[in-house]
Amino acid sequence: MSSHREAPAISKDPVADNTDTYAFVSPDEPGNVTIICNYLPLEAPFGGPNFFEFGDDVRYEVHIDNDADGRPDITYEFEFETEVRNPNTFLYNTGPIDSIASTNWNRRQFYSVTRVEQGKRRVLARHLACPPCNIGPASTPHYEKLAATAVHHIGRGHSVFAGQRLEGFYVDLGAIFDLGDLRPFQSLHLAGMAKGPGVNATNDFSVHSIALKVPRHELTSDGSTPTNPMAQRAVIGVWAAASRRRALIREARTGRSREAGSWVQVSRLGNPLFNEVIVPIGEKDRWNSLSAADDGQFLKYVQRPELQGLLPVLYPVVFPKLAALNAPRADLVAVLLTGIPSGIVPGFQNYTGSHHADQLRLNMAIPPTKNPKALGLIGGDAAGFPNGRRVFDDVVTVELRAIAGATYPLVDKSYTPDAAASLVTDGLGANSTRYLSHFPYLGTPHSGYQTKPLAA
Amino acid sequence: MRDLTRRGFVTKSAGAVAGMTAVGALAAQQAEADAVVGREPVVAYVSDPGKGEISVMTGDREVTVHDRGLAARIVRAGG
Repeated sequence: MSSHREAPAISKDPVADNTDTYAFVSPDEPGNVTIICNYLPLEAPFGGPNFFEFGDDVRYEVHIDNDADGRPDITYEFEFETEVRNPNTFLYNTGPIDSIASTNWNRRQFYSVTRVEQGKRRVLARHLACPPCNIGPASTPHYEKLAATAVHHIGRGHSVFAGQRLEGFYVDLGAIFDLGDLRPFQSLHLAGMAKGPGVNATNDFSVHSIALKVPRHELTSDGSTPTNPMAQRAVIGVWAAASRRRALIREARTGRSREAGSWVQVSRLGNPLFNEVIVPIGEKDRWNSLSAADDGQFLKYVQRPELQGLLPVLYPVVFPKLAALNAPRADLVAVLLTGIPSGIVPGFQNYTGSHHADQLRLNMAIPPTKNPKALGLIGGDAAGFPNGRRVFDDVVTVELRAIAGATYPLVDKSYTPDAAASLVTDGLGANSTRYLSHFPYLGTPHSGYQTKPLAA
Repeated sequence: MRDLTRRGFVTKSAGAVAGMTAVGALAAQQAEADAVVGREPVVAYVSDPGKGEISVMTGDREVTVHDRGLAARIVRAGG
């Protein structure tokens, strides 16, 4: 998946597993940038009685690099605290939850937001309420309205939301993980796969999202509001992470544990699918522990991605030109590690210099498009991936086509991609799930009561 | 778990103690340090500073030591 269960260690620690990161100019408030980072992959909406929540023992982080060195210049930290009203019941709620202050809600979660800049820590807000999970019509009867009250405005133009959302990332996992069964070439697969439509494997599942809306001038290096798309200071690098304390001591016969020590990063995500598809399994856990500034050591995997070699093998007659492409993939390096320099796509750049770092690079001077294309830049929509990432962008198809060679002419105009490179897809699109037109943009999660298990 | 005297702890767990910044005074003894090269990491957990109770863990072994002076030095080293 984008980064759900993408590495051996973090797949066993879902509370800290950063599954998707998004960064885009807010379509309904273009003076702001929205950054969303998701955790807790594949939440089944009926997963009670201890419904999903953030980890009180995890520090969630959003990093922004605004001077192109791969290191965070601004970090937003989110730390959570759970409160139980009545420890003498097994119930999550003892009646309908009709407000985030409802006394019927037994197990509530609150969080603080801290901005770290140039070594200075500033707590922006404390004890902000999360919404409950969506349980069903008896417990959470007006869920969408209830969740909307958990959007907090915390000063200096910042707004935040932290809680359960409908999964926005769509992908046909069953087909992709079955040896790369891709559309529309299924019958040409080495194993002769049957034709069929794409199936959204994340359908109806939820995630836990941290969404942050920030005025653009709060993110630039000089405090200015970017207006010129060709100016380097209009571009920021964004990634998210999660960290745990270095030491955990489990107390015998109490059910309690204690944490101590410095924070150690256990999960990280900039571009979707980077650690999942580019980094080999023996390196994935280490990659999750490193800073984006250290990504130069993974350059070779971007220059020669394993999937590029697999496609011509899995589809023997479909990708002959890709099979003959032996040069390092400078196009993928630009898309994933440096940004795209000016002069390649007319009127566009999101270049942050030659330092290699896996970040979503967002040119904040490019306004939102009225009729966005889910294929983003390769679909002619410069406001979408890989110019940041919007919630509905079809990043699976974009990255499949890029690896298949569709973007290589950006760096070598003499190369003509296989016709298949602009057709390959997992068979899904932005209508595979639902979104909101306003903050926090990811859709309202399904309730447990209304969800049929695996009814994709 | 076994309770040990301080003398027994120092003798039997010298390698473990030398591996910890918190007990740097003992670690400074080079001969003891040389003797523990290659040992597994050791974790010392001061579970009750007031009583001087220290759990020393390495691999799947754990011993509990009662030593108020040592516990106080570790606590001070922790800042």
